[in-house]
Amino acid sequence: MHHQTFIADRPGFPFSAIVGQDKLKMGLFLNVINPTISGLLIRGEKGTAKSTAVRALADILPSIEVVKGCPFQCDPNAQASLCFQCQSRATMGEKLESVKRKVKVVELPLSATEDRVVGTLNMEHALKHGEKKFEPGILAAAHRGILYIDEVNLLDDHVVDVLLDCAAMGVNTVEREGISFSHPAKFTLVGTMNPEEGELRPQLQDRFGLCVQVEGITDPHQRVAIVKRRAAFEADPFGFTKQFEAESVQLSQQIDAAIHNYGDVVADDDILFDIARLAIEAGVDGHRSDIVMLKTAKAVAAFHNRKQVSMDEVAEAASLVLPHRMRRLPFDDVLNMGSKKVG
Amino acid sequence: MQTRGTRTDIYPFAAIAGQSQMKLALILNAILPAIGGVLIRGHKGTAKSTAVRGLAQLLKSQNGDASLTELPLCATEDMVVGAIDMEAAIKEGKKKFQPGLLKRANGGMLYVDEVNLLDDHLVECILDAAETGWNRVEREGLRTSHAARFSLVGSMNPEEGELRPQLLDRFGLSVQVEGETDTALRVELMRRREQFDNNPGEIISGFITESRSMSERIEQARGLAPKVTVPSHLLKFVAEIAEVNNVAGHRADLAIERAARAHAAWCGRDVVVVADIQAVAPMALLHRTREQAPPQIPPSLPPEDSEDNAKDNSQQEKEEQSAPNPPQEENSEASKSGPVDSSDTPDASDEQTTDNDSINPDEKPDNTTAEKEDSPKEEHVFKVGAPFSVKPLVSDTDRHRRTGSGRRSRSRSANKQGRYIKSTSRRQNGDLALDATLRAAAPFQKSRRETMASTMAVHIRESDIREKIRQRRMGNILVFVVDGSGSMGAHKRMVETKAAVLSVLMDAYQKRDQVAVIVFRGRNAVIALPPTSSVELASRMLTDMPIGGRTPLSAGLGRMSDMLTQIHRKNPLSRPIAILLTDGKSNAALGEGPAHLEAIALAGKVAQHHRNVRFIVVDTESPGAIRLRLAQKLASALNASYFEPENLRAKEIVNVIKEIV
Repeated sequence: MHHQTFIADRPGFPFSAIVGQDKLKMGLFLNVINPTISGLLIRGEKGTAKSTAVRALADILPSIEVVKGCPFQCDPNAQASLCFQCQSRATMGEKLESVKRKVKVVELPLSATEDRVVGTLNMEHALKHGEKKFEPGILAAAHRGILYIDEVNLLDDHVVDVLLDCAAMGVNTVEREGISFSHPAKFTLVGTMNPEEGELRPQLQDRFGLCVQVEGITDPHQRVAIVKRRAAFEADPFGFTKQFEAESVQLSQQIDAAIHNYGDVVADDDILFDIARLAIEAGVDGHRSDIVMLKTAKAVAAFHNRKQVSMDEVAEAASLVLPHRMRRLPFDDVLNMGSKKVG
Repeated sequence: MQTRGTRTDIYPFAAIAGQSQMKLALILNAILPAIGGVLIRGHKGTAKSTAVRGLAQLLKSQNGDASLTELPLCATEDMVVGAIDMEAAIKEGKKKFQPGLLKRANGGMLYVDEVNLLDDHLVECILDAAETGWNRVEREGLRTSHAARFSLVGSMNPEEGELRPQLLDRFGLSVQVEGETDTALRVELMRRREQFDNNPGEIISGFITESRSMSERIEQARGLAPKVTVPSHLLKFVAEIAEVNNVAGHRADLAIERAARAHAAWCGRDVVVVADIQAVAPMALLHRTREQAPPQIPPSLPPEDSEDNAKDNSQQEKEEQSAPNPPQEENSEASKSGPVDSSDTPDASDEQTTDNDSINPDEKPDNTTAEKEDSPKEEHVFKVGAPFSVKPLVSDTDRHRRTGSGRRSRSRSANKQGRYIKSTSRRQNGDLALDATLRAAAPFQKSRRETMASTMAVHIRESDIREKIRQRRMGNILVFVVDGSGSMGAHKRMVETKAAVLSVLMDAYQKRDQVAVIVFRGRNAVIALPPTSSVELASRMLTDMPIGGRTPLSAGLGRMSDMLTQIHRKNPLSRPIAILLTDGKSNAALGEGPAHLEAIALAGKVAQHHRNVRFIVVDTESPGAIRLRLAQKLASALNASYFEPENLRAKEIVNVIKEIV
C-alpha cells in the first residue's frame, strides 16, 4: 500500500515538457475537448514518445463531477444515463452526492483477460455470502475517461470484440458466469501501435475517431532538448515539474475554455457539404468519418477560441480523420511496386 | 442478481436518415415476427446497430413491447441456455432453474451484434433452439425445457468473415447496407448525429411525432397482418422466384410470403399484390443465393394476374432489363461440397481478362524478358481456373490443448487467454471457474452446513471444482506467398496456380481460417493482404493480381518470415501454414551473391526459425520438356511438402499433409 502511495506521489513527466509531436498532442486535446470524437490511434515506431504523451495527459485533463462512491463514475447531472444503482437511488428520492475529480486514464494491459475487462463474479462475496455480485472490470473504470491500450494491434481478438460491442452503444452488457448485468461504458479509446508488428482489424480501426502517424524527431536541437529534459526530470522530478507548471496550467485552462466554447462553435451548411464531399471522395466506408470530421473541426475551432468553422479547421480535421479510413484497393501496393525504390 | 436496464439515450429510429431497405426489413420483422428475423450486412459506420436498438426502443416506448434481448459476444453458455440458480440452491437447498437469454428472448427478438464473430458453441445453442422452438436443458443435475421462439436479428461486417451457412439460413430476411452517397443526405445525417451527441433530448423530442406515427402504423399493420391474404397465383409466383434463384426450399418461400404479407399490411392493404413480393423478395434471397449477382426476380407474372399488371408495369420493365438468365450453370457443376462453393466463383473477373493477354505469342517463356521489367505492357491479369474442392489440410480432431477456435484445428485454449465458454470437471491447468464450481456445490450446501464448520457461506469440496474451458477464435492462418513475376506469367501457369489457391481459399472459408497474401515481384515483396478472415477479399485480390517483372524470391521469403514472426507474437501457440506458389526461380537478390543460392540459404534459415509453421511449396514450373525443379530444392530447404498444382486436388496429397501434421 505504502509503495503505491509513493509512486502516486512522484509526479509523471509533465505533458507540457514533451518536445515536438504537435499533431499527436493536438489529437489528444481534441478528444479531451469532445470525448464523442471517440479516440485516437497513434501509429509510429518505438521510442517516439507515444506512451509518454498519453500517460502525461492525466496532468492536463479537466475535472468532472461524479456520484460519490459509484463504481461507474456516473454523472449526477445526466439522469438518462445513470447506472442501475444510482438510478434506483435517484428514484427513491435520494439526493446523489457528487464529488469533483479529474478525468482518468485507465490502461488496458495486453495480458488482461476478458473477465477482467468486462467484469466478473465477485469471488469473495460469492463465497462468503453465497450471493452473486458483479465485480466491475476495466470498462467500468474507463467510463467517462480515457481507455489506453499500448500496442493495441496485439490485443487478443476476443478482447477486441468486447471493445467493439461496448463502443457501439456505450454500454457494457455482461452475460457470463452467472451474472447478468449492464452498465454505461463510454470512453475515449486511445491506442498506440507500431505498424511493423501487424495491422489493426478494420472494424477496430474505424472506432478510433482520429489517427496520427508519429515519427522520430530528426531535428538535432530538438533531440538534444529531449535528452536534456528527460535527464533533468530523472534527477529532480519535483523541481522539473514545477518548472513546467505554469505551462501546464495554461494548457489545461485553454482546454477547459475549449470544452466550454465547443457548444457555441458554428459550422455553416457550406462547411457541412464540404465535409460530406470530402468523405465521399475519399471513398471511406460508412458515415462515421463525416460525423467525426465535423466534431473534430469544431473542436479545433474551439481550441483556438474561434466561433466559426472554416476550411482550415476542416482540412486539419480531414488529415486526422480520413487517412486511416481510406480503403486500400486490392493489390494497391503490388501495382505501385515497380515504381518504388528498394528499401 | 438480475439487474439489467442501464438507461441510456438511444438515437430515435425515426431520425435515421436514409438506409430505407434496412429500416423496412426491421419494420416488417416487427410487424410479423414469424418472418424469422433480419440479418444486416454492411460496412462499419452504417448505423446497423443504431437501427436495431432504435427500433426496439421505439416499440418499447410506444407500444410497450420489451422485445429485444441482446446476446453479447462474450456470453457464457450457462447464461444463454440457463443454469441452476446458485443462490436459491445455497440458501434454500432447492434445485431451481435460472433461465437464460433464450428464455428472455422467447416471444421477441434476439439480437447479436457482430453475429459473424459469435463463437461456434453459442451458435450451436441458438441453432438448436431456433430449429425446434424449444430450449432443452440438461446440466448440473437439472432437466428442464421451455419454449424459445424468437426472431434472430443480427448485424455484421463481412470484412471480418462470413457466417456459417446453417446460421445464415436461419434469418428470414437480410439486407446489405452501404454508405449513402448523396451529399445532402449525409449532411442531414451528420447534423442530426452531432445534435444527438450534444443534446440527445432535443433530437428525441424533435422526432416524437414521427416516432409516434411510425409506431402507430406498425401497430395497425400488426393487427392487419394476420388477415392479409395471398392470392393463389401469387403463391406460385413466390415459388417461381425461389426456383429461378435456385433456393427452392421451404424457408425462402415462407420468408417471401410472410414478408410480403407484412409489407401489404404496412401499406394498409389486406391482400398481397405483386409489388409487395417484388419489394421483399430480394431481402429473402440475398443471403440464400450465395452469388455475386443480386437476386433475380422474374418479371413474368402468373397468367391469372390481371388487376396488378398495369400498376406494376413500369417496375417490371426495369426488372426485365436487369434480369439475367435463370440458374447459373456454375452452381450445378462447380459445387460438390455445400452451398459455399459457389460463393467466390470468379466469373466476373474472367470477363475482364481478355484472352489475348494469356495467349500472347510474343511472350518468351523465359525470364530474359525481365530486362524490360516494370513496363506496364507486361502486366497481365490471368484467368483463374475452375476451382475444385480441396480435401482438408489438417485433421479436424486436434485434441491438443492449443489455442484457436477456427474449425480446421479447433482446439481449446491452454493458457488463460481466450474466451471462457464453459466449464469442465477435469482438472488440468488451475483455471478455476468459480461460477460453475459454486453451481456444482450449491445443491449440497444444506447438508454440508450441518457437518462442516466454517465462516464461509459456501462449502466447497474437491469434487465441486470446475475449470474453465476457453477458446480463441484464431484458427489457422494461411499465409500465401505468391510469385508475381514475369517468369511465372510467361508460363501461363498462373491460371492453374490461381485455381489451386482459390480452392484452398474456399476450404479456408469453410474452416474459418485467416488468410494473408504476400506477393513478390519487381524488386521487392509486399503484403498484399494482411491477415484477414475475409476470404472474399483475398480471392478478389488474387483474381486481380497483376503479373510481371523480376523474381525477388529472397525478398518474398524475408517478408514471409516477418509476417510469421508477427503472427507468432500475437498468438504464440498458433501454427500457421505458409503456402509458397513459385517455380523456385529467383533473379533478384537482396545481397550481392547469386539470387537462387541466396534464396535457398534464406529458406533454410526461415525453416529453422519458424518451427511452428508448416510450409507447403506449390511448384508453378511449366510442365515442359526441360524442368529445372528449383521449387523442389526450395521445398527441401524449407522442409516443406511439395506439390504440383494439379496434384493439390488429389486425395493422396492431402493424406501426405495429414501425415506431416
